[in-house]
Amino acid sequence: MGPANRRGSRRAFLEMAAAAGLVAAAAPRKVFAQPRYLEPVRVDNPLAAYPDRDWERLYRDIFRHDKTFVFLCCPNDTHNCLLKAYVKNDVVVRIEPTYGYGKAQDLYGNQASHRWDPRCCQKGLVLARRFYGDRRINGALLRKGFKEWVDRGFPRDSKTGAAPGELMRRGWDQWIRVDHAVAFRYHAKALENIARTYSGDQGKNFLLAQGYDPDSVSQVGDAGTRVMKFRGGMAKQGATRIFGAFRMGNSMALLDHYVRGVAPDQAKGAGSWDSYSFHTDLPPGHPMVTGEQTNDFELMDVENAKLIIVWGMNWITTKMPDSHWLTEARLKGAKTVAVTVEYSATASKCDDVIVIRPGSDPAFALGLAQVIIAEGAYDENFVKRNTDLVSLVRMDTLERLRASDIIAEHADAPLSNWAQVVPKGKYAPPTLVQRGMQVPEAMVGEFPDFVVWDRVRNRPVAVGHDLVGAKFEETGIDAALDGRFEITTVDGKKIQVRTVFDLTREYLDENMTPEQVESVTWAPAAATRSLAREISANSGKTLVAVGMGPNQFWNNDNKDRALFLITALTGSLGRHGGNIGSYAGTYKNTLFSGVPRYTYEDPFNLQLDPTGPVTSHVYLRPESMHFWANGERIMKAGNKTITTGAHLPTPTKSIWQVNSNSSLGNQKGFYDVVFNTLPRVELVVYNEWWWTTSCEFSDIVYGVDSWMEFKHPDFTASNTNPFFQAFPRSPIPRSFRTVSDIETYLGVARELSKNTGDARFEQMWQFVAENRVDVYLQRIIDGSTPLRGYRFEDIEQLAKLGIPALMNTRTYPRINSYEQVAESKPWYTRTGRLEFYRPEAEFIEAGENLTVHREPADATFYDPCAILAAPHPAMRPRGPADWGIAADDRSHIARQMRNTTYDSAALLATRHPLRDRGWDHIFHTPKYRHGAHTMPIDTDYMAALFGPFGDMYRRDKRAPGTGEMYVDINPLDARSLGINDGDYVWIDGDPNDLPFRGWQDPARKHEYKVARLLARARYYPGTPAGVTRMWFNGYMATPSSVKAHESRPDGAAKSEFTNYQALFRYGGHQSLTRSWLKPTHQTQSLITRKSWTNEVTKGFNVDVHCVTSAPRESIAKFAKAEDGGIGGKGLWRPVMLGLRPATENEALKRYLSGAFVRFDKM
Amino acid sequence: MSKVYNWQIGREMEYPYEAARPVKQFGLVMDLNKCIACQTCTVACKTTWTPGRGQEYMFWNNVESKPYGYYPLGWDVNILEKLGVQDVSTPVYGGKTLFEAAPDGEPVLGYLPDDLDYAHPNIGEDDSFGDMPRGAFLSAPHMQWMYYLPRICNHCTYPACLGSCPRQSIYKRPEDGIVLIDQTRCRGYRECVKGCPYKKTFFNPMTRVSEKCIGCYPAVEGGRQTQCTITCIGKIRLQGYVSRHDEVREDNPIDYIVHVTKLARPLYPQFGLEPNVYYIPPVHVPSRFLTQMFGWGVEQAIATYRTASQDRKLLGALLLFGATPQIIHRYRVQGDKTIGYDEKGVEIVRVPLKEPIFMRVAFDEKYQTQRSNMT
Repeated sequence: MGPANRRGSRRAFLEMAAAAGLVAAAAPRKVFAQPRYLEPVRVDNPLAAYPDRDWERLYRDIFRHDKTFVFLCCPNDTHNCLLKAYVKNDVVVRIEPTYGYGKAQDLYGNQASHRWDPRCCQKGLVLARRFYGDRRINGALLRKGFKEWVDRGFPRDSKTGAAPGELMRRGWDQWIRVDHAVAFRYHAKALENIARTYSGDQGKNFLLAQGYDPDSVSQVGDAGTRVMKFRGGMAKQGATRIFGAFRMGNSMALLDHYVRGVAPDQAKGAGSWDSYSFHTDLPPGHPMVTGEQTNDFELMDVENAKLIIVWGMNWITTKMPDSHWLTEARLKGAKTVAVTVEYSATASKCDDVIVIRPGSDPAFALGLAQVIIAEGAYDENFVKRNTDLVSLVRMDTLERLRASDIIAEHADAPLSNWAQVVPKGKYAPPTLVQRGMQVPEAMVGEFPDFVVWDRVRNRPVAVGHDLVGAKFEETGIDAALDGRFEITTVDGKKIQVRTVFDLTREYLDENMTPEQVESVTWAPAAATRSLAREISANSGKTLVAVGMGPNQFWNNDNKDRALFLITALTGSLGRHGGNIGSYAGTYKNTLFSGVPRYTYEDPFNLQLDPTGPVTSHVYLRPESMHFWANGERIMKAGNKTITTGAHLPTPTKSIWQVNSNSSLGNQKGFYDVVFNTLPRVELVVYNEWWWTTSCEFSDIVYGVDSWMEFKHPDFTASNTNPFFQAFPRSPIPRSFRTVSDIETYLGVARELSKNTGDARFEQMWQFVAENRVDVYLQRIIDGSTPLRGYRFEDIEQLAKLGIPALMNTRTYPRINSYEQVAESKPWYTRTGRLEFYRPEAEFIEAGENLTVHREPADATFYDPCAILAAPHPAMRPRGPADWGIAADDRSHIARQMRNTTYDSAALLATRHPLRDRGWDHIFHTPKYRHGAHTMPIDTDYMAALFGPFGDMYRRDKRAPGTGEMYVDINPLDARSLGINDGDYVWIDGDPNDLPFRGWQDPARKHEYKVARLLARARYYPGTPAGVTRMWFNGYMATPSSVKAHESRPDGAAKSEFTNYQALFRYGGHQSLTRSWLKPTHQTQSLITRKSWTNEVTKGFNVDVHCVTSAPRESIAKFAKAEDGGIGGKGLWRPVMLGLRPATENEALKRYLSGAFVRFDKM
Repeated sequence: MSKVYNWQIGREMEYPYEAARPVKQFGLVMDLNKCIACQTCTVACKTTWTPGRGQEYMFWNNVESKPYGYYPLGWDVNILEKLGVQDVSTPVYGGKTLFEAAPDGEPVLGYLPDDLDYAHPNIGEDDSFGDMPRGAFLSAPHMQWMYYLPRICNHCTYPACLGSCPRQSIYKRPEDGIVLIDQTRCRGYRECVKGCPYKKTFFNPMTRVSEKCIGCYPAVEGGRQTQCTITCIGKIRLQGYVSRHDEVREDNPIDYIVHVTKLARPLYPQFGLEPNVYYIPPVHVPSRFLTQMFGWGVEQAIATYRTASQDRKLLGALLLFGATPQIIHRYRVQGDKTIGYDEKGVEIVRVPLKEPIFMRVAFDEKYQTQRSNMT
């Protein structure tokens, strides 16, 4: 009997409902309405007694379990929770928190409290449905075309060396399931072939013939291994299994040694891709002010604050297990303020709410600074001790005045306060015993004495890097904040000099009065004044928690610098209860300072004795993936090239990513990447435990273990909480044919050893083969300052009980800048102070030597990238003419190099170039509560709860799953566009290059159909007119999901064979995004600290000073596509019933005004 | 109909059965100022109790955004409209309860939702009241607002579901006041679905009987709080037992919050069911709307919350939320700690009112390493 014959029968319904666990086929509404009336039975008073309660056993049986075990849930949500799984009949039936966080101790006996418990969330509790789900990857999968390419012996074009395009049709191809061992063979062969093809002159010629930028090709340097890119995403989430991707990349030096026959010291490893900066999580202005990757505080520090400003951060939805610290701080009397672009979840937890225009954050922050300075409400002592605002700037060159400029034969003071010079040819001592900043001898000249005007002596005096905090105060110098002076240089020239404070104040007073700020940011002037005064009144006790919202706009460094200015002016920095933090991503890898002992262990000189010392050698070449995502285009326009030196990427021919769905499946400019850039790559490998969008576009997918079935232990920690947590080994068997991530490295290495005869590939992973991964883990612990003293076996045993350990950082809670402010140690900057003036040429050219506001690159109604500045004597940016850029060129790349200035009135008179063509809405894509990136939102329960359109029974066959993604739009705005609540709408970005370059070509219409964004519109009263929002977390449409949606009888966007579940019918939130490459992120001159050490460096510093892109911002055009009613007929039912915003029926209107009750004054 | 006393409305009222209060009454306090709508409670409940066939649409615990969120669609708007405008000016309720407003021959005023009303369990999520101007500066009470309302069965003292059941298949357990539908006796008439104004009984089309939140009695019987409570990461919930209004114990944290400080209020007390889930009202929302939902005394509750930091006893009770999975029967504040005890008086948890700051050495001689906040 076929399915059609059974339709309508009761049995058919039962069977369909049985399938409803994931995607139900039919609604049981008919069945609802058939009660069976039987003779009632009397019970005298069921409030008092009930005769027979034996049936209650039923639920006790359901609740009963056979055993439990603990695992660590670790999506990229920055929290990490040990969870307890309940097992019955060998199946995990439910998950609960462990309540072990209040038992966590450090090495000194300090203990966290149960205020930390419980730790879990809905995403973790739903995992049992995922661990057994139908998108688990069973075995390994090979893409058919890729397999054929390898089987045919890697055919290539004889002129260009390119692989045949017809075999690289990722996303449209079919899959072949194989054993992992088979996939390892294909993988190793392809790696060797690619290394060989792109080595030497042949490689260079091929790459140039394939059209790669010669600047990029120059970075390959004869080594074909350099065109391979390895990436362990959010690597801190797995000290060995994810950082292992970099260890594997470093070991490609062995392959280079084999292929080119070069000596070990000439060998080159693979390229590696960034993570923190790639996700646009890095706040790039932090290193510009402090030299440090990110200044932050563990979120529980709100316990110590009096004023908490949650800025562009939807804390309530993205920092869920730490939300109680915020709400409890308010309960205990702290004031909470949200700076936001809508009435957000977090706004509902704050006393004051300030709604600003998206991307206008730098201007709003500078407005606060203007009020604080104009009202004299700053902490003068803190400013003089700790900032460069007192330093003098030469008005002729705009450089910072050096003592040697004005004092003949001045010798700069030696670096002695918490700083040591590393002699040439020597290495810095291990991080464990470094006593402060490590300055390579060649860089000593980068830290010259600067000059302040001493009001006591009434003359300029030299101030060294050492003189910070109390050490400066001890000099008795009273540094002038105000003032313009004429000074004679040692060569007899009279020059004007002004303090940074004075220059900054002039900029603020000219451009950033509360009224000007209101016109630019929409924040009422009263809000600016009120918040500025609150910040001053809570000097030293204001915490500013900044989220990824504003960080994901192009002007993110301007925002950071402006926010630091406020906190530095009021002494709310580096103090418990007074600090600034940026919250995005799983970073602070640096706290695992022993990691390089593992990732960079010298593959030519391996330590196979578990307790012996390890030799490190860096063969990897890190770069930012943003250039690849930008179509492998670097930053150049007119006659100017911005991307140079170590910032330059190499061409990409091979990719292996682990823990990285964001990097391909959730890539900015996704469709341009997968349809235009990815086909040039010859090998794409992903490790995943769940079939993601990244898998859709891979050549090899390794099915790996989920957290619940780890056979090799691991550990991680977070930046927002103080816990050091092990992934304990699991007692339950694997449910699918999977291996550990770390076993994939071993598997490929074994094949490379076989093929090359070099046993060292395999020996790289000897302790994996011996089931002794703890050897690597202990090496990392022993080399990490907050961990040293722990034994991994103890940490794992505690984890099995649901108890983490505490990180042994200097303070609990850990706060950045603590040592600087409390102990007068220098920051990792040229002056040793917080720097608000950037005298490097790149910043002067960009018009950003001072802290300024710039407009977003796309999400603005005005001229993109414009600098808000009336003429100012210290601002001399390079304009289009200086670099040979056409005067009206506002194309994607060129607009970022225009550096045009406007005063506030002139800025408001400009228009985004697309506005006159109907692109009139800002479209931004923040993260939300139902997913940590994409995890686990395609799970049935989660999708059903994700917003207003969820339906477990999918009554509307257009719905891609049990829920779907939608765009939030202001109701009045939507009405003016003829869009009803619940309608489907088309959403288009810049037609010049979105959703992908070349979409206009009729031959590419099948790609365009997949890529053009279609989603439901939701009336959302909390967003201002002109501002629209789509959550970031949904799985996007792919060729296979579109095919499924259009061909399956139930209409689900769930792919054949892989079961990939899209939450869009067409397109996705990344249909409207592009990579942006801000010039100030790619300097050759900024001084910053390297990760895992106190050593400073200059220029490119991966995940610290490199491009960050700007994935949240777009300008969009909306058009109605289909009606919202079921099947596209009429209005969406809740609208029809009058139960939605802007379409309220009479009863709802009465309800909203509280008029169903009558009361006198209470 | 009998005359029963309902302390929440300050007077006697009509009910189908004689009053019979249980030995202990299941009670739950939820602080709406801390709810983050993460739905962890919803998923905890769903994965524990309702993952089966016929239960797909069913959320015994749900969290809805007010004012535009409702599960099922429009539930409270609908029943308020049926009940009409009522007077809630005074502690003694001057309006009609749902029992008193019942049509002739029916025990309670109710309605049966359409199946489609259950379709979108999180409709209205984060939708706020009021239109947003281009920029805004809001101070409490916010002129644009929304808040989250988590809901389970209220295990009412006078349950409308129980009163509506023509078969007497619903009963209230004398030992803990938990209200249950006997799964072997129920015949799925759905009178309880119609009668419960909170719409917290559900018809299962596969088993063809109705079911509802069971107060996690298999856990509660072992001294453990409910699944929705122990998984609540907003730490908004405290589940235990609420004493009779005339037998208040100050050292019971629920009593202290509900009866002594009157900080937590019942949901729609005017319905007359004497529900036993109590809500601390959200302080940022205009009080008129809150009065409609939580009845008389909302402004006083908000004022109490705003000054809670000065009442260490209240703070101590509020900071026990989420500190332990066990049911706290007694508590006291000692120094800077608040301590919870079980039914036998054994200490089960002790937490600080303020998490301490620990300082570690800059250089650990034993392990030869710096201890730094930087790297």
